Amino acid sequence: MPPALRAQGITKRFDAVVALSDGALTVERGEIHALLGANGCGKSTLCKIIAGTVLRDGGSVQVDGVPLEPKRPADAEAAGIALFYQELSLVPQLTVAENIFLGHEPRTRAGFVDRRKLEDDAGRLLGPFQAVAGSGLDLHTPVARLAPDQRQIVEILKVLARRPRLIIFDEATAALDRRQVEFFFRMLRELKAQGIAMIFISHRLDEVFEICDRITVMRNGATVATYPAAETDVNRVVHAMVGAMAEHLHPPQVERPANEQPRLVVDRARGRRLRDVSLTLRPGEILGLGGLQGQGQSALLRGLFGADPLDSGRVNLDGAPLRLRKPADAVRHGIAYVSGDRGRDAALHGRSIFENIAAASFIRERRVLVWPGRLAERFRQAAAALNTKYAGLEAPIGSLSGGNQQKIFIARWLATRPAVLLLDDPTKGIDLAAKADFFDLVQRLAAEGASILFYSSEDAELLGLCNRILVFNGGAIAAELSGGTMTALHLTRAAYGDAA
Amino acid sequence: MTGMSMRLRGRSWLVTLLALIVLVAVNAVLQPNLFTGTVLKSNLTVFLPLVLVAIGQTYVVLAGDIDLSVGAVIALVNVVTVTVIAAIGNGVGAVLLGLLAGMLTGMACGLFNGFLVAVMRFQPIVTTFATGIIFSGLALRVLPTAGLPVPAPYWRTYAGSLLGLPVTLWIFLTALLLVALLSWRPFLTHLAAVGGSRTGAFQTGLPVARIRIQGYVLAGLFSAFASLCLTGETASGDPLMGRMLALSSISAVVLGGTALAGGSGSAFGSVLGALVLGMIGNVIFFAGLPFEYQTLVQGLITLAALAGGVLVAGRQRW
Repeated sequence: MPPALRAQGITKRFDAVVALSDGALTVERGEIHALLGANGCGKSTLCKIIAGTVLRDGGSVQVDGVPLEPKRPADAEAAGIALFYQELSLVPQLTVAENIFLGHEPRTRAGFVDRRKLEDDAGRLLGPFQAVAGSGLDLHTPVARLAPDQRQIVEILKVLARRPRLIIFDEATAALDRRQVEFFFRMLRELKAQGIAMIFISHRLDEVFEICDRITVMRNGATVATYPAAETDVNRVVHAMVGAMAEHLHPPQVERPANEQPRLVVDRARGRRLRDVSLTLRPGEILGLGGLQGQGQSALLRGLFGADPLDSGRVNLDGAPLRLRKPADAVRHGIAYVSGDRGRDAALHGRSIFENIAAASFIRERRVLVWPGRLAERFRQAAAALNTKYAGLEAPIGSLSGGNQQKIFIARWLATRPAVLLLDDPTKGIDLAAKADFFDLVQRLAAEGASILFYSSEDAELLGLCNRILVFNGGAIAAELSGGTMTALHLTRAAYGDAA
Repeated sequence: MTGMSMRLRGRSWLVTLLALIVLVAVNAVLQPNLFTGTVLKSNLTVFLPLVLVAIGQTYVVLAGDIDLSVGAVIALVNVVTVTVIAAIGNGVGAVLLGLLAGMLTGMACGLFNGFLVAVMRFQPIVTTFATGIIFSGLALRVLPTAGLPVPAPYWRTYAGSLLGLPVTLWIFLTALLLVALLSWRPFLTHLAAVGGSRTGAFQTGLPVARIRIQGYVLAGLFSAFASLCLTGETASGDPLMGRMLALSSISAVVLGGTALAGGSGSAFGSVLGALVLGMIGNVIFFAGLPFEYQTLVQGLITLAALAGGVLVAGRQRW
């Protein structure tokens, strides 16, 4: 009997970035198969290719021995594949029942939605979960009103309602508590008994070993090994994820007086994706935020910038308490934020480079009117500090490459002489030369006394640049790495919630 | 969020219904013969075109789009219809063919809009603003000046009765039936899903582009219905017909509780919204206020509805 899924030699590049060079995965019927790897190893891309949301460049996919060439999600669905989306695919305005059967509404003979059957079926799916779902999870509730764990349950039910024969669970347990996870696993075992094949992605290694039959590890866009879960252990798996990654030399620790006052103190910060995060950042320190993507690193940085305000917790800057309700509050206190999502968070599209640099200075210095000539010299220096290549300050921002645009957005903050620099995966999609310039600059700023919080989805960047690394898992700090523990092995292990 | 706004969420058309009842009551005081057959019928004749356009507009807005070209579609459908009728000869068969040509024209306009917006990914507001100008231009090309009367069977039927009830009422009821039939189809849920979360709808496997196009085609079709009604009223061709209706239809949709961002709302609400806008005109007329106040008040009411929507939905931080 052919396997439920056989993917071989899958390749995919996004512009210049190779996401997959040799993705491979074989899943048998009635198997729960873990797919593991560090950030950017290509596991999500591989799953999206199988589910038809991303088109592959090369390689082959067979489902039950039949070649699959999905052009869109509907094609993969027709082949019995369903993907649990980490970012969730629910429509907030629709009710729970409508979301569960979206696109698969039971119909009467006249072609109308069979409301009664819809609700009966949805009720039957939801029923078993009611015991662990908490209050307010009702068939008629719009999804917008549900708590994160309840939304996740609805997404799970939506996947199951499709009666798929191959299910990809991408971080399906992320928002669930232990009781809900146990319930979910009991359900997975039932599905398994029915011969349904499942791919399981999770940032919790203990869960992987609890539920999975086999484990496939990916690294740098390629599949490196597959193990039966019973015949391997955490150590071997983590080593396979990390590979022979060179151990990086840490930058020399800057000598600072021990009694120096900390620059930034965060005490029990809570938010939508943060659970009691506390940290201390000293002047001149580069503090890394590590872990798998979406574990609360960006949430913390955006919270400290006032872009997505924290729900609770104290923030002190140079000993004085700070209220951060909007970005302007942060900017006026010398806090700068550089995001990897330039298009969304930074670019003033269609405006000149000058205007793009000036944006933050206006707010910091409470300027109303400006003499462009006086500012231009300062801006030119800021841009030059980064080796930015540009035709002139009047050129539109869109005329620059991604890397040079990012330099302009950093220049925007340099012009404000920030005391705290929040870097939110800042090197996403920029080339190697620009990255090198960028890291030089970050180190120079730190040497001049700026404090830097640096989140990167690339572990090598963290290991190469930071004095200490806080590893996030599920919205909380799982481990702090410094000195001898700052290795790829420790980082990957902590990212998967294995503090040992 | 207060308890009341919580309960009102998604049901703001109840407020509109209340407003309509108040307006009808005020109107009845100012105009004692309101509830006689002839007055009701003439009111319905005046309101019907906006009701129809507003229904069509709802399907576009639900999907998170907008159609500013519906007014121009009305003009184009009108001139095409009268021209086709005149070209074939003024018999009953010619009228029927003219109606058919008008409806096809409306749907073609919707298809064109939908193609540009959903397939070419053009921005809906600007695109339909531009196609509106194109449709107006085409209307002027087909019939440069007002004129070209339609044959008597057309306007006599429209003004007449069927089984003891006015034809306009039959059209109104048929439109409501169409709305109900559509609302029972999975299509309407899909439309709201596309407007509520385009990514979610795509990942769910819904044919997003096709659904958006269907929304525009429905808007075109209902605009054509509105145009054919207006033609029955004016009994002739007019390349400038329906100018005000595009923006009024959006007002009606907003008043009816449909979110301009898409995802939630109903065509029934838009019908109520259209009737409220019509009744405002009545009340102002019978209260003896100058006609110019009508537009002003309609604008203020629409603004109030938008403000109410913000209060009910909860405020964004910026």
